[in-house]
Amino acid sequence: MGNSFFIYIQTLELMAFFAGYPLIYAIVVYIADSRRLSNSLISRIDSFLPFAYALVGTLFLGFQLKKLYPDYSAANINQVIQQPWLIGWALLSILFWLPWFAGKKILSLIHSFLFFSFLIKDIILQLFTSSRDGNIINNDMKVYAESLFLNLACIAIIVFAYGLVLLLKRRLKRLSPPV
Amino acid sequence: MKRIDNRMLMIFLILISGIGLIASCVHKNEVLPASASTAVIITHGSRIHLPGLAGDTTKWKFDKVHSAVNWSTPFQAVGAPLTGKFNQFGIADISSAQMQNYVTAAQPLADTSWSFYENQPKKIHFSGYVQINQVNTGEPGRDQGCLVSTLGTSAIVAGTQNLTVSNIALIKTTSVDFDPLSNDYLATFNFTWLGKMGAPVTESIVGRLTYVPAAVTGTHKEFGLVLKFQINCRHYGVTSTNVADIIAIEVHANFNNQ
Repeated sequence: MGNSFFIYIQTLELMAFFAGYPLIYAIVVYIADSRRLSNSLISRIDSFLPFAYALVGTLFLGFQLKKLYPDYSAANINQVIQQPWLIGWALLSILFWLPWFAGKKILSLIHSFLFFSFLIKDIILQLFTSSRDGNIINNDMKVYAESLFLNLACIAIIVFAYGLVLLLKRRLKRLSPPV
Repeated sequence: MKRIDNRMLMIFLILISGIGLIASCVHKNEVLPASASTAVIITHGSRIHLPGLAGDTTKWKFDKVHSAVNWSTPFQAVGAPLTGKFNQFGIADISSAQMQNYVTAAQPLADTSWSFYENQPKKIHFSGYVQINQVNTGEPGRDQGCLVSTLGTSAIVAGTQNLTVSNIALIKTTSVDFDPLSNDYLATFNFTWLGKMGAPVTESIVGRLTYVPAAVTGTHKEFGLVLKFQINCRHYGVTSTNVADIIAIEVHANFNNQ
């Protein structure tokens, strides 16, 4: 098996962070577009999606740093990171903290779709090739479920943080003396 | 992204997720292979060993020199084990008429009262004896001193094999069965000994019989039978408190085809 095992594990890690985002994205946008919910906070929830995605990317960066700890040398990074291009692509998600990228939420969907495509690939192979190991799709679905929870939690954190900032701003406005 | 496009995206993603979920669940109820058994593997071959005359390599002869009858009991019922063996013993079914003194250094009777069928325990049988005054604890003073009276027998007479009723303990099988929990056999036999009683006492005892398959040793083959059992010496009038009630006995009988 050699390095292929570590590559597989690293792919599962990437899926655990990013594969759940497209479905969460589609559901959130669908809810936000619902006419009945217009003029409420929920109608603007889709604007938080890129930030939630950036938070997932930041958590992924932290996870990679934890894996490398305490040896951050180039040699160790080369040894630990088996798929540098994919990891690099995943870390680009941190850019969604920047307002320009955050304004183009469709980019976050496109970015995450690469990781969702791993799941599609495994499902197709599972369904159309007899020799495929059934455990792979089992692993994929477990990791995918965890990814859904992670992305949902990240949106909840961003919404909570936004509400907190809004609340603090209002209090500060009340406390500030009238001009 | 327009709403209709997003709806299609959502349907697509849910569809993919659903297919993945179903694909991952289809083998959920598959029966797992049975776990490896931890039970003792019992195998009985079909080897048969029967007694015969010297020179017939298809028959088996009792190898007295390489056999042993050992015993042990806790000293004063609590201490370190008191152990010993019997120097003279044999595999013969002794009739009343044969219970006498034999002036010989060799085996007084033919050691042919046995047969062994590995896979047919009902056909297994053996009879044997030990000469009580041939007890050997490694202390000659004790063996030919206090132990003689303790065991209710008489001292050794040089050059004589004493098979009189007061000096022999006998065993004779009544049935042998497979041990359901191991590869061994459970041998039920009568144990007869006068001890210090007025008349010989016979008790039915169950012992564990182990078969050691034949192996080539030099120019011939040799197999072994090991019989382990216990007796209560109080049932035979042994009152000495130096020994515990229970005496453990191990008979190691070897046979060769020379």
